[in-house]
Amino acid sequence: MANTSGNAYGLTALCPIINGHTNDSNPLYKAAGESHDKEVRRILQALPLNQESPFANTDNTYLARLFILNDVFFQQGNDFKRDQLKSKYLCFNSNFHGELEPYLTSLWNNNENQVREIWQHCVAFESVSNANDFVRYIKSCQLTTTLFFNGSNDQPVAEQLKALYVKQMFSEFVLTQQGKSAAELKQAFKYFLQRVQLNDVKSPSWKPGQTEVAL
Amino acid sequence: MSNIAGKAYAMNVITPIPWWKAIWQHAAFKFVVRFPSNLKGLINLSLIHYARWTIIGRNSFPHLAPSQPKEDLHYSYMMFESNFNGSWDQYIDSFSFAIPEGLDLFWRFNIGYPKSIPLHGFYNYIRFNQIETDHFYNAYPCASSNDVKSATHLYDNLKDFTETSLELSDEDFEQAYNALLLDNQQYLGCMEAGPSLSLKEY
Repeated sequence: MANTSGNAYGLTALCPIINGHTNDSNPLYKAAGESHDKEVRRILQALPLNQESPFANTDNTYLARLFILNDVFFQQGNDFKRDQLKSKYLCFNSNFHGELEPYLTSLWNNNENQVREIWQHCVAFESVSNANDFVRYIKSCQLTTTLFFNGSNDQPVAEQLKALYVKQMFSEFVLTQQGKSAAELKQAFKYFLQRVQLNDVKSPSWKPGQTEVAL
Repeated sequence: MSNIAGKAYAMNVITPIPWWKAIWQHAAFKFVVRFPSNLKGLINLSLIHYARWTIIGRNSFPHLAPSQPKEDLHYSYMMFESNFNGSWDQYIDSFSFAIPEGLDLFWRFNIGYPKSIPLHGFYNYIRFNQIETDHFYNAYPCASSNDVKSATHLYDNLKDFTETSLELSDEDFEQAYNALLLDNQQYLGCMEAGPSLSLKEY
């Protein structure tokens, strides 16, 4: 039973959402009877995507998601009992490279406003005022993964992105160099190396969450 | 709702399991970890970035403050979360056809699990117990899991090639270059944004 697979970490946290309605001063919310879970869902669905997602500037996030567990499902049948959750839960699930504490610290330090906006609707979050508190809070909501399957690899995201950039560039290079003489090929390869800077992981490279592969 | 980010789909499934059978399910997963050959089917499928199974004991839901009511549940729950390439249909089909025994092992003790074959019951079971994702982030929306793995191999091999080939004569360089392409042909290929999926496939 482990949250890790090599250097990849699988985080699952269930953060209980406050029952009842928000104390927001906006009279529209009160009039509509806005509950905390609805407010969280609204915020999550309005979060910017891809390169603008808060996870794009959280170091080493491979894939991450947020969703709300409203309730558990009743498996219909006379032999089964019915369960109902007394709280709704914000489920935070992330796959990332490295250790949990620096990862959560990066999430807080680079996205404090968004983190506060989302988690303010969760039970006991009022005690969180800095990165260390946030790490402690998420740990208190964390579940231990029973089986973690890593079908990718566990390299740092920057290296994965550089490798993808190089794969794209080199594949294009191979296509365009067909039929060239040996001398032209070698010359072109040297130019290719200058352009892609193989040993510089940071640049040029793909950006986290990048949705286009323009060369 | 956003189950899709580029070429990746986020699936969340939560299913009940009697608390005493959860112990057996734990043992089944321990067996899989100890003998990873049981994951060979999953590895061969090669469309999963990361997947995980988490058993939540009926008394293990986080309780953070006296103001939060304590859960009072009959069952433990198993949460399955996967990040895979392709559509929902493709994933479930692949799972069911490629590793039916593995699926039966992973969900064996869960209430209402119909077994992975015939497919229709398994479809309905997953759909019924699935929760939609509200925000999903993918570091490389244009790449599949196979792209990430192949890119890493190609990147390493290209660095090695560069260290040894630049001092060669033009003719020897060409020969070495052709050998590089031959050895790495399975890692080559340009990437693009993924095809759009219909709403049905979300």
